[in-house]
Amino acid sequence: MSAGTSMRVVEPLRALRLTYRVVLAQLVTRGRLAALVLVGAVVAAVAAAVGVSDEIDDPLEAAVRVIADLGFTALVPIVALVFATAALGDLRDDGTLVYLWLRPMDRWPVVAGAWAAAVTVGLPLTVIPLGVASVLVDGGGALVGATVLAGVVAVIAYSALFLLAGLLVRNAIVWGLAYVLVWEGIVAGYGNIPARMSVRGYTRSIITSRTGVDLDLGDLSLAPSVIVPLVAAAVALLLAARRLRSMDIA
Amino acid sequence: MTSPPMTSPPVTSPPVTSPMVSVTNVSKAFGDVVAVSDVTFSVGPGVTALLGPNGAGKSTLFRLMCGLTPPSQGTVHVFGVDARRNREVRGRIGLAPQQDALFDRLSARRFVELAAETHAIADPTEAAARALGFVDLDPAEAKPVGAYSKGMRQRVKLAAALVNDPDVLILDEPLTGLDPVQRNRMIRLFHDLGDAGKCLLVSSHVLDEVARLGSDVLVIAQGRLAAAGDYRALRSLMDDRPHRIRVVAEQPRALAAALLARSLVDGVSVATDQLVADTSDVDAFGRAIAPLARELGVRLREVQPLDDDLESVFRYLVERR
Repeated sequence: MSAGTSMRVVEPLRALRLTYRVVLAQLVTRGRLAALVLVGAVVAAVAAAVGVSDEIDDPLEAAVRVIADLGFTALVPIVALVFATAALGDLRDDGTLVYLWLRPMDRWPVVAGAWAAAVTVGLPLTVIPLGVASVLVDGGGALVGATVLAGVVAVIAYSALFLLAGLLVRNAIVWGLAYVLVWEGIVAGYGNIPARMSVRGYTRSIITSRTGVDLDLGDLSLAPSVIVPLVAAAVALLLAARRLRSMDIA
Repeated sequence: MTSPPMTSPPVTSPPVTSPMVSVTNVSKAFGDVVAVSDVTFSVGPGVTALLGPNGAGKSTLFRLMCGLTPPSQGTVHVFGVDARRNREVRGRIGLAPQQDALFDRLSARRFVELAAETHAIADPTEAAARALGFVDLDPAEAKPVGAYSKGMRQRVKLAAALVNDPDVLILDEPLTGLDPVQRNRMIRLFHDLGDAGKCLLVSSHVLDEVARLGSDVLVIAQGRLAAAGDYRALRSLMDDRPHRIRVVAEQPRALAAALLARSLVDGVSVATDQLVADTSDVDAFGRAIAPLARELGVRLREVQPLDDDLESVFRYLVERR
């Protein structure tokens, strides 16, 4: 080995790609995939049952409610929670984060790469079953389009928020689950202010604006319903990069 | 290696060379627990062993040097800068952490290749193969590292730490889990790297291991720098300290009186079938005890040092400050 090492740094895009590949490989486990595919299948099965039912007066409204209540209150946040909290949180907990941290790389590409990996796994596990569900409930093209758009926006936003949580607290999955169940599931239903502070309020607005079905809390127009969660995601990622810079690494 | 002036233990430091790592008045607390307390030293090229019992603060010191955690007080610099804030200097450090954590689903080659890629090495495949060769692992092995033995995982960590040809190598208990052959091989490798101008900091809690690692030693105990300098001086200091020895024998009172009469012990306490002696010349005591017992017609059943463990050595070094 030669003495002396030239100053080498990893360019940000390369660092992002490397992190993405590593985190993706760590995230995708058979157990996680099987469990979350099963949850998605349950949502699609419920949608199919609604679609073939003769006892529903307004099939479109029933379809929208299945997608909004089951899909966007349960499936999407839980899938994002599982993968995004694990993206860097698992690496921190098991001690492997040091192999990305003690490197001549900036912090933000590490965060961005991990987030991209979580989104890559989360999107198909949510958008596909919800898309299938929206077809099975016979909600028409508008519902399918709204579901896909809301699904993409929600996965992006939840993944960023939960990735930040994974760096902020240990047992982030427990805290995240409490957030999903208590804040998104209950508190957000008690008025406009908590609804504006939950991803759920925006996904419901996307569906309402595209289908015309009047959902509670879904009273924003399409543009802010898409833009606000994306801005929230960007802020969460910036905070996560800052946190990664300042945190203790085992 | 340089260290702050020390009144005791009387261990000399080697000549000052340009410091590659400098630790100045560093303390680190985790809540109420002080892991490192006012430690100052600097190290240059060559192998420096960091010796201390488990929980002494060795790993925390290593984490501080790598920038993995900030000091509560003081400064830690590698090549004059803080590794926590300077990404370029992070590229000049190789770390083999103590914890047994690897990306378990990757093969050894892929794991080390990834380390090379994250160090912006031009040819990561070639660099990984070379680093795996240093630690005697086969780059063609496709088995994931999760299925490796502890010793093999240790060598994978070492290969990953070596792959960027770092100027500063920080190796936390790197010989743990290795068989004697691999241990010898790694020690030779460390010496070769040190001779090539690299700065190696190698921690261990095993005294004999440190003896083979190099002549420069930093002794850490209870978060403090208990001693620094040449290993031989340290060893001599350890041998010269007062020792406590238990002797189980018939007629312990007669034996104790004879030991005192011949000034072989500084003090002695006697029980029914044994005595506990304090001596500052353990070698003379060892040579004299059997002939003396024979001369007195006393049958010796057991002669056992009570403070020969490493913990007591560290305790002695700390309490003498």
